[in-house]
Amino acid sequence: MTLDLQIIPFAIISIIMIGSSIMVVKSKEVVHSAFHCVIAMMSAAGFYVLLSAQFVAVVQILVYVGAIGVMILFAVMLTTRNEEVE
Amino acid sequence: MAIFETIMNYLVIIFASNQFAPWIRGVLGGLVIGAVFGGALVMVYLERKFLGDMQSRIGPNRVGGRFGVLQLIADAIKLFTKEDIIPAKADKWLFVGAPIVALTSGFLMVAVIPFDYLYINGNYYAVAVSRMDISILYLEAVSGLAIFATFMAGWGSSSKYSVLAGFRNVAKMIGYEVPLGICIISVAVMAHSLDIVEIVEAQSSIWFIIAQPLGFVVFFIALLADVGRIPFDQTEAEEELIAGWATEYSGMRWGLAFFAEYLHAVVGSFIVTLIFLGGWNGLPIVGNLYIPGIFWVIAKVIIVMMLFIWIRAALPRYRIDQVIDIGWKVLIPLALLNLVWSTIIGLIWT
Repeated sequence: MTLDLQIIPFAIISIIMIGSSIMVVKSKEVVHSAFHCVIAMMSAAGFYVLLSAQFVAVVQILVYVGAIGVMILFAVMLTTRNEEVE
Repeated sequence: MAIFETIMNYLVIIFASNQFAPWIRGVLGGLVIGAVFGGALVMVYLERKFLGDMQSRIGPNRVGGRFGVLQLIADAIKLFTKEDIIPAKADKWLFVGAPIVALTSGFLMVAVIPFDYLYINGNYYAVAVSRMDISILYLEAVSGLAIFATFMAGWGSSSKYSVLAGFRNVAKMIGYEVPLGICIISVAVMAHSLDIVEIVEAQSSIWFIIAQPLGFVVFFIALLADVGRIPFDQTEAEEELIAGWATEYSGMRWGLAFFAEYLHAVVGSFIVTLIFLGGWNGLPIVGNLYIPGIFWVIAKVIIVMMLFIWIRAALPRYRIDQVIDIGWKVLIPLALLNLVWSTIIGLIWT
């Protein structure tokens, strides 16, 4: 029974994670890639919560989203934006 | 007081026991979030009135009687009825998403804030939407999400001023999250716990502002930068950046972003109150004075808010390079010093 209920959030988070991971490579703008990367990392935190590993989930958000995500944005800041991309 | 305590006790039993369906507790959690939302409203009103007094003005005085109590509602109605403009060259997803991310991060933070710790029928109950073992770490993690909101707003607006503000925010936050985190670690070291409830309980004999005054100063300055208030509001400097990341926002989108900022300030004052000012513990020597803990928390939160407003009225804004300097060259070394101090004191104390 518990498995049946857990499969629903698992499916939702999986779809979000796979979709955003694909968008990281497919996006034309580099800043969109960065934000999709952040979403993929946050869905990983969602998986940890589903596995009832709250500490790992919080550390995932703190380190991967809060620190590495911001670092990626910091790198994006220093790139030039290509105006001709449509 | 007796009636109040009875009502509180019933509410707490509903919150903390598992005899009710999860959705009822969800609704009650929503009510608590609404209460903190109301706290943000109070802070906006307090700020306008108090700032008016400090600058020898009257402040809001037309809508809702002499003291302008209903001014905020009038402002909200005005914002709702304004046209919602999205700039033609804006990155629509980022532009629309930014206020949502800002508010979400604020609301997620509210979830673990405890208001009181009650002893009912032989059990202790924390008055909080959700009690976690690692709530202070959770707060630190979730508050970091607000950085993305400012960056999304700045980048999505496709305006030079907004992009500059987004960049400034990221650069500032990289520096200021570190002392904030180190101060939280030193508090956790002294309290032997990452649970806010236990951190407050550890302060029943001595408040952490007395045990580690340096930590309080560093934490307060870093928190001011974290919630982006004067003297650290370079991201929305009116004179240089024309409101920065909010330049292109109008109507209720701007209202939400503005409100999210105040929500962060309110949650920030709650964090200061809980981890440094003793939370629901009364004054150090005289004790609780038979006043329920929740009133102590609210009184301290209002005092911290007043301090925010006072600093806003008293200090000018730093330049962005000065801010980065303060973060890396002053606050981080001081925070590390405080970590050493709190570890030594914590070892002797216990």
